[in-house]
Amino acid sequence: MAVTTVAKLVDTSLCIGCKACEVACQEWNDQEFTLGVFNNTYQTQPDLSPSFWNLIKFNEHVDDGVNSWLMAKYQCMHCADAGCIKACPAPGAIVQLPNGIVDFKQDNCIGCGYCITGCPFDVPRLSPTSKKVYKCSLCSDRVGAGMTPACIRTCPTNCLTFGSRTDLVQLASIRTAELKEDGFMDAGVYDGPGVGGTNVLYVLKHASEPEKYGLPKDPRIPWTVSLWKGPLKWVANAAFLGTALGAMLHYLKFGPQERHDDDTD
Amino acid sequence: MTTQIERFSFAERVSHWTSALCFLYAAFTGLALWSPRLFWLSGVFGGGETVRAWHPWAGLIFSVALGVMFKRWAGQMQLDQDDQVWLAKSHLYAQHIEAGIPESGRFNAGQKMMFWLQSASAFFLLLSGLVIWFPEVAPRSARLIAILLHPVCASVSMGGIIVHFYMSTLAVPGALSAMVHGTVSRGWARSHHGKWFREVDGR
Ligand code: HEM
Ligand code: SF4
Ligand code: SF4
Repeated sequence: MAVTTVAKLVDTSLCIGCKACEVACQEWNDQEFTLGVFNNTYQTQPDLSPSFWNLIKFNEHVDDGVNSWLMAKYQCMHCADAGCIKACPAPGAIVQLPNGIVDFKQDNCIGCGYCITGCPFDVPRLSPTSKKVYKCSLCSDRVGAGMTPACIRTCPTNCLTFGSRTDLVQLASIRTAELKEDGFMDAGVYDGPGVGGTNVLYVLKHASEPEKYGLPKDPRIPWTVSLWKGPLKWVANAAFLGTALGAMLHYLKFGPQERHDDDTD
Repeated sequence: MTTQIERFSFAERVSHWTSALCFLYAAFTGLALWSPRLFWLSGVFGGGETVRAWHPWAGLIFSVALGVMFKRWAGQMQLDQDDQVWLAKSHLYAQHIEAGIPESGRFNAGQKMMFWLQSASAFFLLLSGLVIWFPEVAPRSARLIAILLHPVCASVSMGGIIVHFYMSTLAVPGALSAMVHGTVSRGWARSHHGKWFREVDGR
């Protein structure tokens, strides 16, 4: 039986910025307490970190002179076509589970940081102490045991929903339709078609401008990464083998130069 | 065999072999990360984490040793008129047909080309290598270029080294011994580097 692809739906219009999901994530994943950095906003800290995998971004937005926040939950998107996996040189350091979760296995990670460059969403964070990368695992341990990820379990507003991806795509379009009824004509779903679809889906009020939420407009695996891990491999391998073969054939056909060691004349 | 003449000073040999060893280490540890299929190579060099930690240092020492050689040799590596002719006839040189090929100075035009190829790729290896070394510090745009540039330059220089290795061990007897012992026979010097031979021989 095919395993269902699981997903998380984030309806940003329902997020009240309570940060309960941040706390739940820290607790379940047993993160050490670190002091946040205060940068004059309501955000817990400016960015993700090796021990902070889920950040509610308070994006400030002005519409007709009215200030508001465009809340966006920032974490790994669990891409179907994952740039981190494409870039990673260490077998088994990043695995894609049959249910679609992309999980980092720190035991196999060598800390090269290639995944950081390969990720279109700038998610993995390298720990300066352990020299390993960390990010949201979509609570693969909980999901494996039939439970809901900690952030979703704790969300008080139904902003977060967990389930099969197919169901959540449907739910997302229902929510979008409701938002449009309420007058948010630009409402839509953000699901990263450029990376084969993400398993974290967003409902956005301003879907044509995801940058306002800190989300890349058209996320794709960077072309230099694709070129590096694709055609370059084959061109370079062929060139190596060709050169070595050429040297061998040269020796067999022409042999070495004469020695001229004697000093006649 | 008769009297030997000095071809490479002690300092030249030290810098050459330092760069050669570091290059080999960097090349094989780099290849370990080149493809998951070659990752087993990292086991040979102490495991993935060790490889990740030491490769950049080997690269750094390589760069310093190459820098020493560059400083010493760049002046002698300028291509002159004879070298142009040499290059045009290099296919004959490869077939050991020496008639009509101009005599070379201390380095022949092929060696000069190898020198410039290795110097240029080493420069870009260093530049891109520093960027990949510190992914948390280097800006994303620089990293996106570096992860492509580094293996491109590594491939160019490793390809060049295959040729260099073949020439100096198998194809040109006496070349390896020159870099190890520092000396060559007068006959070898005259036949391989005629112009240089007359300069140092003073006749
Ligand atoms: C000049 C100084 C150099 C620096 C600072 C440097 C740094 C790096 C770094 C940080 C990496 C990422 C993984 C790791 O740390 O092992 C890397 C990968 C690599 N390096 Fe270097 N390196 C240098 C020179 C070289 C040299 C001389 C070669 C050999 C020709 C080389 C070949 C490679 C290759 C093939 C890779 C893997 C590329 C890939 O993943 O496709 N590097 N280097
Ligand atoms: S968001 Fe980044 S880290 Fe997460 S699966 Fe996609 S590429 Fe990998
Ligand atoms: S840092 Fe770890 S997970 Fe990321 S690419 Fe390197 S080995 Fe893979």
